[in-house]
Amino acid sequence: MSHLIELLYPSMLETLYMVFVSVFFTILLGLPLGIILVITDKNHIVPIPWLNNILSYIINITRSLPFLILMIFIIPFTRLIVGTTIGTTAAIIPLIIAATPFFARVVETSIKEVDWGVVEASISMGATPIQIILKVLIPEVLPSLVLGITITIINILGYSAMAGVVGGGGLGDLAIRYGYHRFQKDVMIATVILLVILVQLIQSTGNKIAQIINKK
Amino acid sequence: MIEIKNLSKIYSKSNHKVVALKNINLSIAKGDIYGIIGLSGAGKSSLIRCINRLEEPTDGDIWINGVNIVKLENKELRTARKNISMIFQNFNLFSSKTVFENIAFPLRLIKTPNSIIKEKVNELLKLVELTDKANVYPAQLSGGQKQRVGIARSLASDPDVLLCDEATSALDPKTTKQILSLLKNINEKLGLTIVIITHEMEVIKEICNRVAILEDGCIVEEGPTLDVFTSPESYVTRNLINQDQLLPNEYLKGKVLTLSFTEKSVGEPIISRIVKKFNVEINILYGKIEYIQHKPIGKLTVQINVNDDVLKNIILFSEKNHVQVEVLNQ
Repeated sequence: MSHLIELLYPSMLETLYMVFVSVFFTILLGLPLGIILVITDKNHIVPIPWLNNILSYIINITRSLPFLILMIFIIPFTRLIVGTTIGTTAAIIPLIIAATPFFARVVETSIKEVDWGVVEASISMGATPIQIILKVLIPEVLPSLVLGITITIINILGYSAMAGVVGGGGLGDLAIRYGYHRFQKDVMIATVILLVILVQLIQSTGNKIAQIINKK
Repeated sequence: MIEIKNLSKIYSKSNHKVVALKNINLSIAKGDIYGIIGLSGAGKSSLIRCINRLEEPTDGDIWINGVNIVKLENKELRTARKNISMIFQNFNLFSSKTVFENIAFPLRLIKTPNSIIKEKVNELLKLVELTDKANVYPAQLSGGQKQRVGIARSLASDPDVLLCDEATSALDPKTTKQILSLLKNINEKLGLTIVIITHEMEVIKEICNRVAILEDGCIVEEGPTLDVFTSPESYVTRNLINQDQLLPNEYLKGKVLTLSFTEKSVGEPIISRIVKKFNVEINILYGKIEYIQHKPIGKLTVQINVNDDVLKNIILFSEKNHVQVEVLNQ
């Protein structure tokens, strides 16, 4: 039992580190991207159709690559950003690149839920586009955004299992190295249980927060 | 106050064009409660949305307080819009904000200090009688309460003009009356100019001092509400006014007349005089008195069995006594 904990604990820390940092940057990049996708539509508050088309195109390309291939494909880019291509930190870059377009689409779908009449009401009161984004669009869909973030975290957790390919470590890597290559069933089972608990925790926390802030 | 000149709106969709408004000219005076009525598709929504440029006019000018709204750039337009508030059919409240914060929203946009916001919003809550609902979210309000929040929110920026886009169409008749009397009250208290578009004649009758009738993107009739009601000139107007008194065909036998009594004649026993003077029998098919801007208009549909000459004399006699006669069936 104690050797299991010795194995699981550092891997779990690696996973949490990768997921936490990736989620942070994914939200930082994906939220504005998702909002731009909505407002630059030709019938929205800042119509720039060409930008909208280009962004949408790039997002579709990124999303069509399987994560494993994307991770290898962008190795030169990873080196450019973090200076190395192996290790936990090096795994974070492909995680962000894979999750950001996904999250941007999640944000886009949420923001589109805002009734156009409410946007028009804000326009009729003389609100600027920035005010509409910060004071109307985001607050109106906050519960749905929280659920979107929850899904994204779970997605990133799933992707992070493949980080072992670039020496990223983490729970997924542990399960493959010990549970699969060394036939240590107990490590495999413990990892799976841990991952299930993690996902349950993330989802129920997300649901709870969304429920509390939902005023509809 | 508001001068609309040669306003046109054409929607272009790929290969075909839809003309929503044709050469509209309107003049709305300060303090007016101006009604624009028409059936769905007449263009009334386009018209009111051009006034604050939620729709871009295709052609024409709209002057408000000496400023041509159509010519304004983004920033000036936003400033001008603070002076032209709007309320909506679906209320369009912010579901994530409390009633208080909904009303405070226009003030937050211009970074008003908190102490002033508090004072102003509480004042408005009192005006619309929702003081006890300040911390409630819109989802917990009834339709009428939501519209009262909408009205309070529209008044927060101290506008000169209030545009009402079918503001009572989603409400039941009783709530509609309450909202209309609130609008009337605001109009009198604050000297606010109100423009109302609606498809409900009741709304116009209840509070509008002037009315324009819109059909197929054109104004077919315009004037003081009482005049338009007592002597409608166009077919469309007559149709809108008489919506509720279409008699079934089986009653349209013999000579059927509709007599319209105005303020001058509504208190006179005209029917009984006709009976005595012409020695005829009169059968009353339908009748009502309604009040437009607190002035009575009586309508009476009657059947008389007489020959054409007597009928002519009856009509002359009636008109001499300020009763207008419309012959429905000869």
